[in-house]
Amino acid sequence: MSFAPQIARRRALAILGAAAGFPMWPAETGAVPTWDWNGDALGAAAHIRLCHPRADAAEAAAATCVSELRRLEAVFSLYRSDSELCRLNRQGILRSPSQDMVLLMDAAQRWGERTAGAFDATVQPLWQLYAGHFRRRPDDHAGPSPADLDRVRALVDYRAVDVSKSAIRFVRPGMAITLNGIAQGYITDRIVQILRNAGMDSALVSTGEIAAFGRRGDGGPWRIALDHGFGAIGQRQLRNEAVATSSGAATRFDAGGRFHHLISPRDGRPASAVAAVSVAAPGACDADALSTALFVTPPERMDTLLRAHPTASAVVRLADGRTVSLPSDQGDSR
Amino acid sequence: MPVRSVLVCIWMLLALAGAATASARETVSPELLADVFPGAARLGPIEGNPPAATAYDAARAIGFLFFSHDVIGSIGFSGKPVDIAIGLRLDGTIAGARLIEHHEPILILGIGDPVLHRFVAAHRGIDIRAPVTVSRAAARDGVPDAVSGATVSSLLMREAILRASRAIARSRGIVVPAGAQSVVDRDRFERREWPALRAEGAVAQMRLIGSDVLQRLEQGAGGPVSVTAPRDSLFIDLYAALATPAMIGRNLLGDRIYADLVSPLGDADHAVLLAANGLYSFKGTGFARSGTFDRVQIVQADRTLRLQASGHRRIESLAPGMPSFREIGLFVLPAASGFDAAAPWRVELLVEGQRDDGRPQYANFAFEYRLPPGLLRRAAAVPDAIDPSALWQQVWRDRAVRIAILTAALVLLTVLLFMQDRLAHHSRLFRRLRFGFLVFTLVWLGWYAAAQVSVVNILTFTQALLTGFRWDFFLLDPLVFLLWTFVAVALLFWGRGVFCGWLCPFGALQELLHRLGRALKIRTFRPSFVLHERLAAVKYAVFLLVFALSLNLTDLALATVEVEPFKTAVARRFDRPWPFVFYALALLAVGLVVERAFCRYLCPLGAALAIPARLRLFEWLKRKKQCGAECQVCASRCPVQAIHPDGHINPNECIHCFNCQMLYYDATTCPPLKARRERREARSAALAQRQGALQGP
Repeated sequence: MSFAPQIARRRALAILGAAAGFPMWPAETGAVPTWDWNGDALGAAAHIRLCHPRADAAEAAAATCVSELRRLEAVFSLYRSDSELCRLNRQGILRSPSQDMVLLMDAAQRWGERTAGAFDATVQPLWQLYAGHFRRRPDDHAGPSPADLDRVRALVDYRAVDVSKSAIRFVRPGMAITLNGIAQGYITDRIVQILRNAGMDSALVSTGEIAAFGRRGDGGPWRIALDHGFGAIGQRQLRNEAVATSSGAATRFDAGGRFHHLISPRDGRPASAVAAVSVAAPGACDADALSTALFVTPPERMDTLLRAHPTASAVVRLADGRTVSLPSDQGDSR
Repeated sequence: MPVRSVLVCIWMLLALAGAATASARETVSPELLADVFPGAARLGPIEGNPPAATAYDAARAIGFLFFSHDVIGSIGFSGKPVDIAIGLRLDGTIAGARLIEHHEPILILGIGDPVLHRFVAAHRGIDIRAPVTVSRAAARDGVPDAVSGATVSSLLMREAILRASRAIARSRGIVVPAGAQSVVDRDRFERREWPALRAEGAVAQMRLIGSDVLQRLEQGAGGPVSVTAPRDSLFIDLYAALATPAMIGRNLLGDRIYADLVSPLGDADHAVLLAANGLYSFKGTGFARSGTFDRVQIVQADRTLRLQASGHRRIESLAPGMPSFREIGLFVLPAASGFDAAAPWRVELLVEGQRDDGRPQYANFAFEYRLPPGLLRRAAAVPDAIDPSALWQQVWRDRAVRIAILTAALVLLTVLLFMQDRLAHHSRLFRRLRFGFLVFTLVWLGWYAAAQVSVVNILTFTQALLTGFRWDFFLLDPLVFLLWTFVAVALLFWGRGVFCGWLCPFGALQELLHRLGRALKIRTFRPSFVLHERLAAVKYAVFLLVFALSLNLTDLALATVEVEPFKTAVARRFDRPWPFVFYALALLAVGLVVERAFCRYLCPLGAALAIPARLRLFEWLKRKKQCGAECQVCASRCPVQAIHPDGHINPNECIHCFNCQMLYYDATTCPPLKARRERREARSAALAQRQGALQGP
């Protein structure tokens, strides 16, 4: 599960696309020129870095990506009252959803099953409860009342959403969905696909989550830094894979800083054991969903959850300050 | 008209006005206008879809002012509305932006309110038409731009500004400059065989084998998936083509089907042909129930186009000589879908398998279609900036209904005016017609359409004459343009009264309220004629003052225009800061006691129209030789005291209510007529008496 915050969460990853200042690979004379596009996606800063000999080709590819970003925002955005998602939340049913909505809702449901409900797209009513409560009473240390929590938690259950290609439907009235814990990943995967189809050999895409393919213009691998909100905790290379991070650090509801946005669908309370999670996986959508699920999973069960997905690995910063790499037999995250 | 029905009507009016006010937009204060649109002197009403107000400098339209929540329903991080006032210049740059309303939980953002306001204001100068650009990655590339401290909600506001501006730009014809705007050549035709069409790219193809599909589905499911097609069989061999160019559609479909199905389409409508072999049906069966095809969609730039069953034409087979297909469909993409046939698009196919647990597993495949360059023609050059002539034509088309209603009303009024003599015989009918017309003028023309002619129109007209006159500027407001044309002609025929007495919504409001006041027995006051004549001169002084100040359009001139309460009472339906509302209400209160006091003594527009009223060519209002000499009935009943004690009617004051004309024929009231009738009756009585005497016993 995850909420609006994935948008809200401060970008927890700093991109170090090249080794700034101290190149690890000697600059080649034949290095491919590198181009940057900077803009926004689903309301957060977005960045695409392309390697291509020609500026006009890079520009055309970037323009195609921007169109695709805007198209998918019109499907998934919680901040556009006319998006398919907002229509579904308003009406409880979305007839004739677009293929993107079917594919992503289906993926969200499957991640709900795979994580036994740790990922749950239907947590939106809880987020609304917290946001509304602290908008009225920012200094309240108790949070929403248990009665309110119980009432709203009854609306949170991904199994109470029917997904088919002809319609998406809430079984219980009052339910609402957020795709902010997975849509950025889906969009990032789509952009990678668009760039590959446009004939790009290498690119780093940071449109909510980060994915890369190919190599940097100087021939080295793409490199990124993980920043869990406490300064960079390490760098890692990115070879045809994606990284997603969930962090409770940047987004807090209350003045006391005890309530953040990553709320556990199980007890309706902000998860407290973890400060931040980064997951690497072949696809950004999967990495996104897994990082969201891991955040609300008790630390002793994380390893089991991750081992069920052998292509993924994770770096977890626990609330007590320890950093753990998963699966546990793996060494430090490179 | 009975008092009670007058009351009912007026209360309905007030209720209507109240309802209208509730939905009216917050006032754009001069201060907000100056901030969001520096250089704009005034603002038209907020109107159209999406709603925006046209901003004007001294003489012409220079852009639009609008509110993001009106235009795109912008929502913040909090799920509550975010509202930003945005000024957009005709060249596509943002003139200014101001955060009007938000409910963002500041703790989540981690930044304070002033920062948000500064962030929004910093969008001034951005060119929304700028194409997507890339920059050469800097030498120290890899500087982490993503953690630069930009927070999310501020970016939502950025998105709101850009998206609302683009929506307004699109709807108001601020076109994105297109280097090579192309149109599809629909008509050119030569016989082409299938292989040639394929080779040119006029027909695009995607071929999927069972194993391709299975691999993708299993990758998504993370486990085994079963599909109906065996691994090595043909899952689908799907072809797509734009059917509208004759070069493609007529060759593929054959002359007859092309003529039946494609030729009748509108100029901006297009049709796409999909045809397939293989085990998977691209149509599926869901469309029969839902009306939308759920296995294929067309994606173009930022649009997702769903194929509708209503636009689907079943086709049994292609033209002779073309390959045969298991499944063929022609899909109409109406102009409203936004489909641009000259630009590339792609077909997306949704495939479905079954997972272990019996649930469906989905994946989609896409292939791109690009029209062969030979079928594209360069469009006529698209002007870089807004084309005013196109804009006013657009406006007239958009307002066709309003224009028709106003035209009908003006025709009716013309008929009334020409038939005044006949109608004056039927005072009941005439009074009802006049009451109805005033209600129409107030409610529809004034409150609904906001077509209140104002002295500002005279000032801007004069300005335009001084600085370079352009028709299109005046044509941008069709209703006011029609009203002015009508009033100008009517001035020559009848005088200012046609406007003041019939077409001025504020005048109508005063008259209806005065009638209500009388019905409620509010005491009225009628100044002596001498006082009236002195006061009537005031409005000329007001007009001369406003006019003189306007010669160099200063803020002071714009402020003096506020002597007119029209903006407050009509265009903004009393939704303005309280001093304006108080002023307008005060004038109406005076109007309850002294009929049309504002029109008679203060209105600069009335004065401006009275001056040329001397030019009128005809004398329509009938008088008798006794009028003034021996009788003052009409004069004493004239609502605006336009009848001089000497009997003549002062055209500068007359509002053409035709009271005196109805009296003219009213044998029960008009003393000369009464006298004549009494004489006649006396004569006939005498005659009858005499006859009776003759026949008597």
